[in-house]
Amino acid sequence: MTRSGAVLEVEGVAKNFGALAALAGVSLTVRAGEVFSVIGPNGAGKSTLFNVISGLHAPSAGRIAFNGEDITGIGPEVINRRGLAKTFQITNIFPGISVYDNVRVAAQSRVPVSGRLSSLWRLPNVEGPVMELLGAFGLTARRDDLAQNLSHGEQRYLEICLALATEPALLLLDEPTAGMTPGETKEATALIRRIAQSRRLTVLLIEHDMSVVMGISDRIAVLHFGQKIAEGSPDAIRSDPQVIDAYLGGAED
Amino acid sequence: MSKLLAWRGWLVFAVLAALPLLPWMSKYYMLLAFDALLFGAVAMSLDLLIGYTGLVSFGHAAFFGLGAYATAVLLERGVLSLWLCLGLAAVVVGLYALAVSYFATSRRGIYFALLTLIFAEVVYTVFRYTQTFGGSDGIQGLPPPEALPGVALDTPARLYYLVVAYLLLAYLACRVIVRSHFGRVLVAIRENEDRARFLGYNVQRYKMGVCLISAILTGLAGALYPGRAAYATPDLLHWSVSGEFLIMVMIGGLGTLVGPILGGAFFTILQEKVSSYVQWYNIVVGLVLVLIVLFVPRGLLGLRQALRGRAGREAA
Repeated sequence: MTRSGAVLEVEGVAKNFGALAALAGVSLTVRAGEVFSVIGPNGAGKSTLFNVISGLHAPSAGRIAFNGEDITGIGPEVINRRGLAKTFQITNIFPGISVYDNVRVAAQSRVPVSGRLSSLWRLPNVEGPVMELLGAFGLTARRDDLAQNLSHGEQRYLEICLALATEPALLLLDEPTAGMTPGETKEATALIRRIAQSRRLTVLLIEHDMSVVMGISDRIAVLHFGQKIAEGSPDAIRSDPQVIDAYLGGAED
Repeated sequence: MSKLLAWRGWLVFAVLAALPLLPWMSKYYMLLAFDALLFGAVAMSLDLLIGYTGLVSFGHAAFFGLGAYATAVLLERGVLSLWLCLGLAAVVVGLYALAVSYFATSRRGIYFALLTLIFAEVVYTVFRYTQTFGGSDGIQGLPPPEALPGVALDTPARLYYLVVAYLLLAYLACRVIVRSHFGRVLVAIRENEDRARFLGYNVQRYKMGVCLISAILTGLAGALYPGRAAYATPDLLHWSVSGEFLIMVMIGGLGTLVGPILGGAFFTILQEKVSSYVQWYNIVVGLVLVLIVLFVPRGLLGLRQALRGRAGREAA
């Protein structure tokens, strides 16, 4: 894979729930090392697109390739092991165990022992990568607290830690700043950008907060009623009349 | 891997091993202790599923009963080796558990519980209503198994030591497992199985794995039972037995291993003692259990913490 090569190729993906077409023929290509954002009003199909890419739902039509390999319709656990990790719009952590144990169980998914018989009696040491992640997100002091006792903002960070602990090449962030205050959002955005760069991550981001998207993205695609209506640089998107009409204009929630 | 067992753990097993030396340990009490520890071990095995993985099995009687029948069938035919009995029980229960867990783990929550129950009821019906394994009478009048050729487990003390050894080994195995990589993933599945999938874990495989372990441990306990009772009957497979196993885990304390051992022993002794005084013992037993669930929801093992917490609050 070259530096400018395609990490993720989505080709003509459609997803129907009964009579509802949540996605209709969406195509996009995410290149290595970039931050690619998908925006659109609520109900535009953004989360559905993520669920299809990450393997939760099989698409009704179309094809998805990750690092050149077809991953259409295979399960999330297999896709994750190929190097694609996803965070959730609604915080999705392990509430009743400590912050440290949350990240540990994610990190140990990548050790060689995982999935072997010897995992029944061995506990691999993943302290290094776990503490590094907790440090990067300012959670070191909270390591022994139950995840359910974290503040909302801290839980959002833990959410990202879990995904990063599986050492992905491509990170899917589903509204990472959902529910954060404007101040927290700004801080989180800068942090995500910094970590993506230091880990050489490719990021696919869903957001409806325009300030987040404009500051962080290399390219942006706009979804509207399940269809892609525009794609381009932040500046191009900002001035695209169709986008303004559909999204920036009046339809925003 | 840390120490196998803390000194307090070894002390408990030393006390258990010394118990038969007490002068008032009659045959009756020795066999009661056998039952208490045997069902304690079963409850501990079930705790791997309920307490650690969040899977409620309503069919553990089938694992226990199949293990007992495996032993009974061999003893009836004059195959007296305890090790062959245990081996057959592990194979039979393991195969059955693979089939049950494959279907049961493909569904979640209440459906898992119902599927384990339905499978167990099928087993019960086969043993109860066909004559292959003695029908409703089961297999009776069995000779004692032999630990070694010529060394029959025919005294209460020998049986008792057998069950202490089994409990020790099963406990060590469970302890190692819950502290392992595998055990951590089980807890993650209990906490949030969807997220575990998105971290790359094949959740169904882990669930089937823990079902298999829990079932085989329970089946091995079942295989020891005919040595003590000299029979295997369909009653051992009845759904109410599965219910009792669940109660033992609940009153002992979920997700603690030691708690369910206490719960199993407590329940067994309570039921036996109360039933030797009154006919309506189930009312008394039920009342005690309700009180435990109401006032010590974290189980007998949580009792100490509950008392300590209360003392702490009063001191403050």
